[in-house]
Amino acid sequence: MSGHDDIDPGTQPASAIAGRRLGLRLVFEQMPLLALVTVCLVTALISDRFLSGVNFTNILLQASVMCIVAIGMTYVIIVGGFDLSVGSVVAMSGCVAAWVMVETNVVFGVVAGVGVGAAIGFGNGMVVTRLKVSPFIATLGTMVIVRGAALLITDGRPIVGEDGLPDVFLAFGRERLLGVHYLVWLPLILFGVFGWLLHGTAYGNRIFATGGNREAAFLSGIEVDRVTTSAYTWCGALAGAAGVALASRLQSGQPTAGEFYELTAIAAVVLGGASLQGGEGKLYKTVIGVFIMVVLANSLNLLNVHSYWQRVAVGLVIIAAAAADRFKARRL
Amino acid sequence: MRKLLTAMLGLAMLAIATPPAQAEKKVIGLALASDTNPFYILMRKGVMMRAKELGWQVRVVNAGEDVAKQVNGVMDLVAQKVDGILISPIDAVATGAAFEAAYKAKIPIISIARGAKSKYQTLFVAMDSVAIGRDIAAWAAKAAGKGKVAMIAGPAGANVFQDLAKGFKRELTKHPSLKIVYEHTAPLTREKGLKHAEDVLVAHPDIRVIYAANDELAMGAAQAVAAAGKTGKVIITGLNGVPPALKAIMAGRMSMTVVVSPVAWGRLGVDIMDGYFKGKRPKQKVFIKPIIATKANAAKYLPPKKK
Repeated sequence: MSGHDDIDPGTQPASAIAGRRLGLRLVFEQMPLLALVTVCLVTALISDRFLSGVNFTNILLQASVMCIVAIGMTYVIIVGGFDLSVGSVVAMSGCVAAWVMVETNVVFGVVAGVGVGAAIGFGNGMVVTRLKVSPFIATLGTMVIVRGAALLITDGRPIVGEDGLPDVFLAFGRERLLGVHYLVWLPLILFGVFGWLLHGTAYGNRIFATGGNREAAFLSGIEVDRVTTSAYTWCGALAGAAGVALASRLQSGQPTAGEFYELTAIAAVVLGGASLQGGEGKLYKTVIGVFIMVVLANSLNLLNVHSYWQRVAVGLVIIAAAAADRFKARRL
Repeated sequence: MRKLLTAMLGLAMLAIATPPAQAEKKVIGLALASDTNPFYILMRKGVMMRAKELGWQVRVVNAGEDVAKQVNGVMDLVAQKVDGILISPIDAVATGAAFEAAYKAKIPIISIARGAKSKYQTLFVAMDSVAIGRDIAAWAAKAAGKGKVAMIAGPAGANVFQDLAKGFKRELTKHPSLKIVYEHTAPLTREKGLKHAEDVLVAHPDIRVIYAANDELAMGAAQAVAAAGKTGKVIITGLNGVPPALKAIMAGRMSMTVVVSPVAWGRLGVDIMDGYFKGKRPKQKVFIKPIIATKANAAKYLPPKKK
């Protein structure tokens, strides 16, 4: 919902029906949160280790990189697009960052990593808006190209440097500030900034307008191509930042890292109730979607569920979420 | 959605292999690199078998060859306070955080097959790759006499395969009648073995030996050699000793492989862990004993038929 989801009291004469509808709507609106709470409750009931401090830290750390990727993905999906290349960008940016910081210093490394991501995102945007290639095909192409490029520049080997990556960088992946890992602060801050940008600025409105009805947005004077390209650029830059963060956690640049991240990120955005048609979505719900995926993986591990069953379970959850979304659309 | 979710979790609960831990039995974690690679499926079997004999429980997490996922999996095991962790690290450096987490929780973490650079690695149950590469070269030199040699080495980044190739090449320098005419790294798949061997056969129709870094590559190479009608004329060496390769050797399509049974490796990992619990602290790497399998003895190493 793009902020216009108040129910219209004028069309409902019987207040009882309206009340029931309001209740239903509230339940559906907060469906992702309810799903998350349900998974947590069920796991906590079965495993006494789920609600431990160690595991809480685990979940936050495990969600951090994916959160950053999913924030960018939300932008692209709301603008009516799609980005399959984020997983490859995570690998590419991590490798470029590791490589540059081994050669020069940490600051240049981080800037290069995020910059490469932004450049790839910009490229995606240009291919989609200028060459009119469908987002699915365009980013499928970049996904393969960028993975190939990451393997090429690294010769398929992880980048670790002669004496390892710089200590400051490794500390970022390991240490805490005020009891919370730096790796968790990063998505938290990015969530604040990009949440404000999306939901609290005129620029954010233009993203929703472009994704909701491209024609109408164009006619009302929005430069839809520029808005679309900017969303892809943010998505690339954020995937780049995620790649740099992952490199610090893995103490190396891994050309094979981030495989299937695009699918998890898209699933998280959809779990958060955003529409793949564009024009609809909330950033905080995407974050809840990420946590559903991460907590699910964590709890299935804690419950010692066989890895083959884990795949089945994750797939079922994604379909269930999408089905619930369709149900909402029919009933309300 | 909630109903579906609970139904799903109910399903998940059914799939749980074992009830919660009892007081005395050890519970160990196994962090696998992959659950689709036959090598790791068999290693898991070995760990499970040996653990069952000891009355231990095993909690398995799988990484699907994704390092970040493997680190997460180990942290999930640490959160469950298992007594020990067996791991086959996907990457020697990138799994550092996993080893550190285990160390800080005072949980011994032992690597099997692949090792880590982390100073927190408790022990490493390895194979002596250089020595195995040397043994393969010595065997091939004896079998071939002289001629051209092609090398289809494993993935570029993996130490194991670099060391294997190193041992192989070092031994070949002692046999000047054998000349390496082709050398490429390749992922460990049958498809790549086929492709590289096809290229070799085009460039060097008189190739005498094809060294393949594992059985999958070797079986791919064997397919190419068979397609060229040269079965038996080209010596093809592999590594691992998986049943399809042993059968190929018995049928004469492949020449030899080195049996480093993943089942035995998994069992050895559990035994080393058991020893560690009992206070045994080996200073060095522990090596698994390799066996050369040829047409003469391959049948011996096929796993017994299931009842």
